[in-house]
Amino acid sequence: MKDKKKNKELDARIYAESIINTVREPLIVLDQDLRVVTVSRSFYDIFKVKPEETVGQLIYDLGNKQWDIPKLRELLETILPQKATFDNYEVEHDFTTIGRRTMLLNARQIERGIGKERIILLAIEDITERKLSENMLKESEERYRRAFETSLDGLLLLDKQTGTIVNTNPAAAKMLGYSNKDLLGKSLNDVGVLKGAMDFKKDLAKIERAEPVSYKDVPITTKEGKHIDVDIYLIDRARVAQCNIRDITERKEIEAGLEKTRKELGVTKISEDTAREFAESIINTVREPLISLDQELRVVAVSRSFYEVFKVKPEETVGQLIYDLGNKQWDIPKLRELLETILPQKATFDNYEVEHVFATIGRRIMLLNARQIQRVSGKERVILLAIEDITERREIEKGLEKAHKKLQELAAELKRATRAKSEFLANMSHELRTPLNSINGFSEVLYDETFGPLNEKQKKYVNNVLTSGKHLLLLINQILDMAKVEAGKMNLSLSTLPMKSLLHEISLLVADMASKGKIEMLLEIAEDLPDIKADELKVREIIYNLLSNAVKFTPEGGKIGMRAKKADFGIEVVVWDTGIGIAPENAEKIFAGFFRVDTPYSRVTEGTGLGLPLSKKLVELHGGNFSVESEGLNKGTQVRFTLPIISKKAACDEEKSFDCR
Amino acid sequence: MKKRVLIVDDNMDSLMLEKDLLEIAGFEVFEAKNAADGIAVARKEKPAVIIMDVRLPDMRGSKAAMILRQDKETNDIPIVFVTASVMAEGKEEINAITNSGFIGKPINTRIFAKEIRQFIK
Repeated sequence: MKDKKKNKELDARIYAESIINTVREPLIVLDQDLRVVTVSRSFYDIFKVKPEETVGQLIYDLGNKQWDIPKLRELLETILPQKATFDNYEVEHDFTTIGRRTMLLNARQIERGIGKERIILLAIEDITERKLSENMLKESEERYRRAFETSLDGLLLLDKQTGTIVNTNPAAAKMLGYSNKDLLGKSLNDVGVLKGAMDFKKDLAKIERAEPVSYKDVPITTKEGKHIDVDIYLIDRARVAQCNIRDITERKEIEAGLEKTRKELGVTKISEDTAREFAESIINTVREPLISLDQELRVVAVSRSFYEVFKVKPEETVGQLIYDLGNKQWDIPKLRELLETILPQKATFDNYEVEHVFATIGRRIMLLNARQIQRVSGKERVILLAIEDITERREIEKGLEKAHKKLQELAAELKRATRAKSEFLANMSHELRTPLNSINGFSEVLYDETFGPLNEKQKKYVNNVLTSGKHLLLLINQILDMAKVEAGKMNLSLSTLPMKSLLHEISLLVADMASKGKIEMLLEIAEDLPDIKADELKVREIIYNLLSNAVKFTPEGGKIGMRAKKADFGIEVVVWDTGIGIAPENAEKIFAGFFRVDTPYSRVTEGTGLGLPLSKKLVELHGGNFSVESEGLNKGTQVRFTLPIISKKAACDEEKSFDCR
Repeated sequence: MKKRVLIVDDNMDSLMLEKDLLEIAGFEVFEAKNAADGIAVARKEKPAVIIMDVRLPDMRGSKAAMILRQDKETNDIPIVFVTASVMAEGKEEINAITNSGFIGKPINTRIFAKEIRQFIK
């Protein structure tokens, strides 16, 4: 009699323990003093703590006080005493061992049958990765690359044709003991992974059919000849195959430690009822759908989340044959295989993948963890099934792959387009200059009367041809410069510029034009104006453009001027005029190119409409700022720009850094 | 004695313009409309300077220049590339030729002869 009762107690406890160890979700059980009674296997895996540092400890002290989290204290000390159940409590925390994690906590406080003790169950869902996956899809390649770089698993990307390594992450290099460079071009066999144990072509064919390929608990040999136990997974990544290598040395140690803890736990006394209640609580705390079956494969209990996820009702579930659930939706051949063929031979089976179309919820991909437990009392068996719905994860992975592929295609297309554009521009430049050579050359020789005099009319006409030809040449040059800047191909050749004399010199070039239009020019160039290091031709072009614009857009009797002074990081130059100004609605358009305001002056002015946007681009190329201010139409214009003492590109040129090209 | 110059250019307008400008300036001008003829004339006449277009019908001007550089008779004649290809791409092939210069089209007729004269030793 006493023995029977004891056996029943033992059964209930084993049942509870099995649940804890079947679910993938990290689970932690605390006593009323918030000391750890037990934790699930996955808890050790995920949070990188050791059993001997865990059981019996105050939760806040775990892993060197890493768990002293204010939000967790709030949950355990303030919320739970008032509310025995609390779900989806989000906690974000920086763990020193595993970095920043976002977790969702489900908490239950259970009153024990005997005594007034309480125990607390905490189910932890690590949603960091999920958030990361979601972000990865959004930000695609960069994120993927970063995840690849920082993954704790060793990742090797393999060429599908040759099976050789085309890319690796630091973890793979560290694990195998080779440098990244050494790994490139080698086969898995060359670097001690799956020596002779794998047929790459066969595995490749499998993963391309979306069948999982994994090698569990296999030894690999590092460069130094050391053996490490690892799990290996192969994943199809469009153009390459990805080989994930997970070091399981630690996990194996943990599992060995857990076995010990489990034996020690046998000493604690829990009554059968309490143990049963405890088991039920676990089932209802975890988010993972969980189902427990008797040996006839009839449902004994399911978790709350099972009802939610699979949209079945409790009254149609408990006591039913699993295959009959929800109108026989669960009659799945692969499930039958697991329950009827695999489990009787093997009491434990993890990550069994099942894909099925449910009438109520559509196509789902699930990973099943299964445990068969032999009851101590009697010959009955109990089967526990933990179901992970990975449909969404698969979709995210697929989406990520697609986005990745598309991005690669786009990048290649862009490269082609850029090359075509460059070639087009070079050809256009050549083809336009050739006839201009004749137009400008012959009209210049005629105008100079090298081969005899022209009459007044002839001379005027040939001068018009020459002027138009030169205008056309200016346009071509400016268009090409714009294109070059935009393509990032405009290079600066830096030299030291004596700014004071340079500004005076350029002002002389427009002085003639200004006095013809009866425009007064005022120069205020500071005595202490420093010399700068910049591209002389481009600086000349900028200043000439701005001064000639000022003249062109200022009516007779107006004023223009230039102020130059030392500024924080270099020099500041302002070119101003009292001319036609810029209407507020045109303030944006002036940088668009070919924009010229239709005013009485624009008819008499000669310009390409590219001078201002090009000047802005050239200033910015030097690392300076460029702005245009006007209080409105007919209120004049001020163009302000800065140039650094040493232009940005200078440091680049000296280092010949890759970024500067 | 008049300075002798060879112009190699397949564009008749360019050829005529450059020839006129140089003759006015007192040069004796030889002309060729493709690279092969240009190389033959250079070997025969040994001009003081060669004006070379880059895009020629039978080969690139830079290739013709390399052939001239390999010939003892012509390897020290200065070569001035006068071309409408002024973009940075393709400049390397010109820079690779020793004792050479570059003038972009359209040319400045007022200083052209002076520019060419500067290349003559």
